[in-house]
Amino acid sequence: MSTEKIQGTRSDMIVCENVDKWFGDFQALKGITATIAEKEVVVVLGPSGSGKSTWIRCINRLEAHQKGTIIVDGVELTNDLRNIEKIRSEVGMVFQQFNLFPHITVLDNVTLAPKWVRKLPRAAAEERAKELLEMVGIPEQAAKYPGQLSGGQQQRVAIARALAMEPRIMLFDEPTSALDPEMIKEVLDVMRDLALGGMTMMVVTHEMGFAREVADRIFFLESGEIVEVGTPEHFFTNPTEDRTKLFLSQIL
Amino acid sequence: MSETSSPSYHHQKPPFYRDATVVKWLFQLGALALVIFALWFLSSQARDNLAARDISTGFDFLSIDPGINLSEGIDTRPATGGRALWVGMVNTIRLATAGILFATILGLFVGLARLSKNLVVNKLGSVFVETLRNIPLLVQILLYGAILANLGDLQFDSGWDNWVIWSNKGLSVPRVFIADGFYQWVVFMIIGAIAARWAYNRRSRLRDETGQDAYPGFASLGVLGAFAVIGWFIHPIFGWVGNIFGGIEDGISKIPEEALQAVLSILAVVLAVNWIRGFLKSRRTPGGSAHLTDDDKFRIFFAGIGAGLAILVVYVVWPGLSSWIINSSSDLFGVLEDKFGNGRTGGPFGVDRPEVVKPGKFEKYGPSGLTMSLGFAAVFFGVVLYTAAFIAEIVRGGILAVPKGQIEAANSLGMKRSAALRTVILPQALRVIMPPLGNQYLNLTKNTSLAIAVGFSDLVQVGQTVGNQTGKNLSVFAIWMLFYLACSLTISVAVNFFNVRLKIVER
Repeated sequence: MSTEKIQGTRSDMIVCENVDKWFGDFQALKGITATIAEKEVVVVLGPSGSGKSTWIRCINRLEAHQKGTIIVDGVELTNDLRNIEKIRSEVGMVFQQFNLFPHITVLDNVTLAPKWVRKLPRAAAEERAKELLEMVGIPEQAAKYPGQLSGGQQQRVAIARALAMEPRIMLFDEPTSALDPEMIKEVLDVMRDLALGGMTMMVVTHEMGFAREVADRIFFLESGEIVEVGTPEHFFTNPTEDRTKLFLSQIL
Repeated sequence: MSETSSPSYHHQKPPFYRDATVVKWLFQLGALALVIFALWFLSSQARDNLAARDISTGFDFLSIDPGINLSEGIDTRPATGGRALWVGMVNTIRLATAGILFATILGLFVGLARLSKNLVVNKLGSVFVETLRNIPLLVQILLYGAILANLGDLQFDSGWDNWVIWSNKGLSVPRVFIADGFYQWVVFMIIGAIAARWAYNRRSRLRDETGQDAYPGFASLGVLGAFAVIGWFIHPIFGWVGNIFGGIEDGISKIPEEALQAVLSILAVVLAVNWIRGFLKSRRTPGGSAHLTDDDKFRIFFAGIGAGLAILVVYVVWPGLSSWIINSSSDLFGVLEDKFGNGRTGGPFGVDRPEVVKPGKFEKYGPSGLTMSLGFAAVFFGVVLYTAAFIAEIVRGGILAVPKGQIEAANSLGMKRSAALRTVILPQALRVIMPPLGNQYLNLTKNTSLAIAVGFSDLVQVGQTVGNQTGKNLSVFAIWMLFYLACSLTISVAVNFFNVRLKIVER
């Protein structure tokens, strides 16, 4: 988890340079500059409205940034539709509200994109989906519909659905915020396994325990700016910025 | 009931007017008696009043010549009142079916246009909706009629070379009609449909195994098309199918009337017993004991009464029922024997080009083409445009009702817009769209009755004329109501069928 490991020979997976984003008059992102390496796990912290979700949503172009450069896995995000589709099929995303497709079964949720985007044969897609459901711990729910599952189970299906596209990067946008307390752990466990398996991950969360334990680096955002970057050790024990100290004093 | 327990626990049987079970039964039977009495009272009052005012009811006019001419339809000089009303029904059904089809297509496009990010397309859609849904339908129908009346007079050289003819008398296009060999060709097509289904399954299995597009839809259409073309030429080989129907006809006509009566009665009893048995089963707890509430007992009671009534109908109320069933079904198979039988060598379809004739002083369309009269056109454009405006809003609302997160999820998985629309958005939007869409279909069908304003011979216009000629206005009213009720129920059943299939499973 040391910085030397990150600065090694691995290629940069996500590069952001001076990224600006406005919603009307409101500037949500102000000159975001950051580089995330392969297999790195970063956690993005910050008060609500600080631009965490906006940033993570810019990385697979669910929101379009207006200034600056974002390069994901060597492909720059522009208006080029082919680039956007390519990046989206390599970047998995997990949402706060799960966003499972309610009209099809869990298995179909997981196999839909591999069949339609990767043109995988159904048998192969289903086999892979069953492996993934096994991995997230709910193989017995494959034939059910999302509405029949608990929140924690739904979020784990959502993770399996994103993983089914064999992404190189996983984005998590507050994956546990909509869950009952007793279900948070089952989702975090899956995410921890994923991180240990070497997935490049970018996680917006309020779970400090997870950030401390799993993150390689923590980004602290406020008012659309990156205020502080550092290892969990540095961030939680010895933060340099006053705003970080204030934030930590409020939540810890 | 025990003498030893304290007085407050006395289990005395309450007086009957406080016994919940007795009270419920009394109310149930009382309500039934009240309904029967009300119906009897109203009908006897109506009968007396009608007799006093010399208004005649009855349906004998259905088989009497009404002496009227209709402006258009399958028969413009109907020989009986029933035939006249039938022509009106066919005209209404034609209008409603065509209207539903075109209003749906147009509404879908306008609804999508209103969601478009293209400013011009978007605003055009808005103008369409806001204009057409805010002008009364009757005004629109009159307006379209007035506009179309400005087309030129019908002449022998009107239109385009006797393929398409238009004038202020309407539009006439070539008519495709069912010809001699049609039914044998249908047999061929049924086999073709089975083969097409087989091809579809084969191709989709191929797609599942290899992941490549195998175009199962195109493959099955191709198979069906091949059968249609080959069948066009060699369909007479199926002449023997007619003999089968002939055999069935003979068999049915030999069934004795009493046997059918007995079968129908037994059927009613069996159905009732079956229903009661299933009902008891559904009420049984996992422990095996069935606890019936009073409501459950009422249901069982009425199921029994229903069976008894059915038997009463078969033997007493309408003793001719069974012979009617025997005769009409053997007639039906006789017709089928003729239609499917040997010696029909012509093609399945034929085409008649429209023509202009001049029987008297003025030119008019001959019977050969498919003619859409001015009245039909005015009502058609009226109901289509008016309903399409509402359908557009329903479609727009349905698509907007799909949560934004669904589209984002599909996008984040790298799905193309078209794929996301087809697999994620539309299936969920349809769930919201179908119920109000069904309402619009009902409205459209009922709104076709405004055809009377431009003199199109729909059921209402024909019924009005028949009623005036025969004086049986009440009977005509009954037929009108039953017809529109039947149409509406048919549409409701069809829409509900889709609603059930689109339902999302929860818990």
